[in-house]
Amino acid sequence: MVFAIARLGLMGFVVLSVIYVLVSIYSRSVRRERLEKRWEAEGIGGDREEFIRDGLAEYDSSVRRKLILGVYVVPVIVIGTLIYAINFW
Amino acid sequence: MRYVKWAFWIVLITVVGGFMHYTMPQQDIVRVVNTEVRRVDVNENSIFWAQTDVGNDPTTVNRDVRFIETIRPNGKPIVYRNEDTGWGWPPYFKLDSSNLQAEASDLISSRDTPRWVVMRHYGWRNEFLSIFPNAVGVRVVAGPEVRLIPWLNIVILVALSLLILVIRQMWLQFRERSIDPMVEDAGDAWDKVEAFGERKKGRVQRWLDSWKKK
Repeated sequence: MVFAIARLGLMGFVVLSVIYVLVSIYSRSVRRERLEKRWEAEGIGGDREEFIRDGLAEYDSSVRRKLILGVYVVPVIVIGTLIYAINFW
Repeated sequence: MRYVKWAFWIVLITVVGGFMHYTMPQQDIVRVVNTEVRRVDVNENSIFWAQTDVGNDPTTVNRDVRFIETIRPNGKPIVYRNEDTGWGWPPYFKLDSSNLQAEASDLISSRDTPRWVVMRHYGWRNEFLSIFPNAVGVRVVAGPEVRLIPWLNIVILVALSLLILVIRQMWLQFRERSIDPMVEDAGDAWDKVEAFGERKKGRVQRWLDSWKKK
């Protein structure tokens, strides 16, 4: 039993890590695109690269970015709920 | 080519649909008539069977499996197996087969005084393969004509659809931001190669032309 749980945990961790990385890249890419568009639409003066770099730095320390950690949290909650609902409810 | 495309989609839909139909929970209204334990030696139908109870040795060749024998409202029988899915696939995390067996035994009723129950299960009954749906849960209902709304399936299907949309969105973003610029670059590079080739060809052609009689 311990082996089965360990296998599930390990495989789950690997799969979720892949998802985490992909979602992080996606989210950052969306943020960068939005910054680029804003720079053009609002006619913000100054260096475009610098504006984008500042925006991404702000994003890196934002709560939104940390929400991606939900990729790890949500499945654990779902599995816990399932175990309770299927076996003990 | 069109038929190949059709065949591809038909095969894909059949495989995915069959997989989903086997794995997703379903609810039957039935009357429990007996519960029993049988020894089974699974063989080529083994992918349609789970493993022994989660705490036990999973490597034994044969084992006892709990069965729940029931009758549907139309009088036809349906027999369920009652096995732990444990920590494997499908992800029901069912660990309480023994308890479920006790509940099912408690609900046994006769034809004359039927007590109808909803048996939640996944899987298929197939006589040719000797496979049985795996019971997951049981609850009492008022009668055989109760309308069941498959909330769980609705939730799962909506979640899956959202997941597919997210993956699609991620792919589109990746293509727009990473692949398209690369292809454009490649296109530019190719244009340069062609232009270079043109120039080269021009030079070679000129050299060849220089041999031609004027």
